[in-house]
Amino acid sequence: MKQLATLGLSASLVLLAGLPAAAHHNGATYFDTSTTIEHSGATVVEYAIVNPHGRLSYTFTDADGNEQEWSAELASANNLRRRGLGGEIFKPGDQLVSVSGNPSRSGANFMRLESAEFADGTVANFSGPNRGIIPGPGREAL
Amino acid sequence: MMGQPDPSTVRLTPAGQAEFDSFSPDKDPTLRCLMPGIPLGLVDPYPIEIVQQEHQILILYEHFHQVRRIFMDGREAPDHWLPSYIGYSTGEWDGDTLVIRTTHMHPDNYMWTAGFPFSGDENTYVIERWWREGDVLRFTGEVHDPTYYEEPYVVNGLWNYAPDGEIWEYECIPEFGGIE
Repeated sequence: MKQLATLGLSASLVLLAGLPAAAHHNGATYFDTSTTIEHSGATVVEYAIVNPHGRLSYTFTDADGNEQEWSAELASANNLRRRGLGGEIFKPGDQLVSVSGNPSRSGANFMRLESAEFADGTVANFSGPNRGIIPGPGREAL
Repeated sequence: MMGQPDPSTVRLTPAGQAEFDSFSPDKDPTLRCLMPGIPLGLVDPYPIEIVQQEHQILILYEHFHQVRRIFMDGREAPDHWLPSYIGYSTGEWDGDTLVIRTTHMHPDNYMWTAGFPFSGDENTYVIERWWREGDVLRFTGEVHDPTYYEEPYVVNGLWNYAPDGEIWEYECIPEFGGIE
């Protein structure tokens, strides 16, 4: 028997994709990746670590004093967990300095999350090759 | 080019162009928690495990817990075989290259979520070639869909050997498909 592996009968080998996780979905289909919007003073409602996509739900008060409810799409739960973004990073009621991402093309209160910043300077980065937690000066690594 | 082809090089037929122009995100099976299968899952970002047996090669995917059976004993798809997302795959060796032919793929699928359609009709088939270079397993996949494409749609990829790699569960909740 020819072998893709050279490990004997009934060989088994585990392989990791040589492609970025973002390779599966083309975000530009659903989100305006040429635009980044930022919401200041957000309050976390829920951080859901779910497949096929996680979600951060939050509220913030707009310039007119109206409270808006938004949600932000994340990578898959499995991808978030491999990047150290799968724990209790956000808890309901957490205050965030800002939430940034690409707005949905549908016009809904929905975005693809790029990053979120806490008051102590910690940044949760959800885009690019450096996805993960970047601790601020007042926080130990999560 | 790794992964999907440069969109500017893809030549659609008029029927394929009409499908491309009407693409909607909700046609992506994975956003409804259905497996990407073949051809959409040819390029897949999650770990896989390959198990070789005498009569078949199994590819076990983390993504949606997909299982591919590539029959190596010369059998062909039985007449009653229904279209499915994973299709029906047979393989043979060409030297040290594994050549896989897949038919019976589901028409409710996509080539690529940038909007490239897949007809899944009786004329569609996929030819993959997998070969090993040290600890890297490379593959190409030629998707033949003459109804929607003037020439085969070709993807490429590679897998890195991961002796300590882990395959995790991939539960999925359709409400989190992100179609809004």
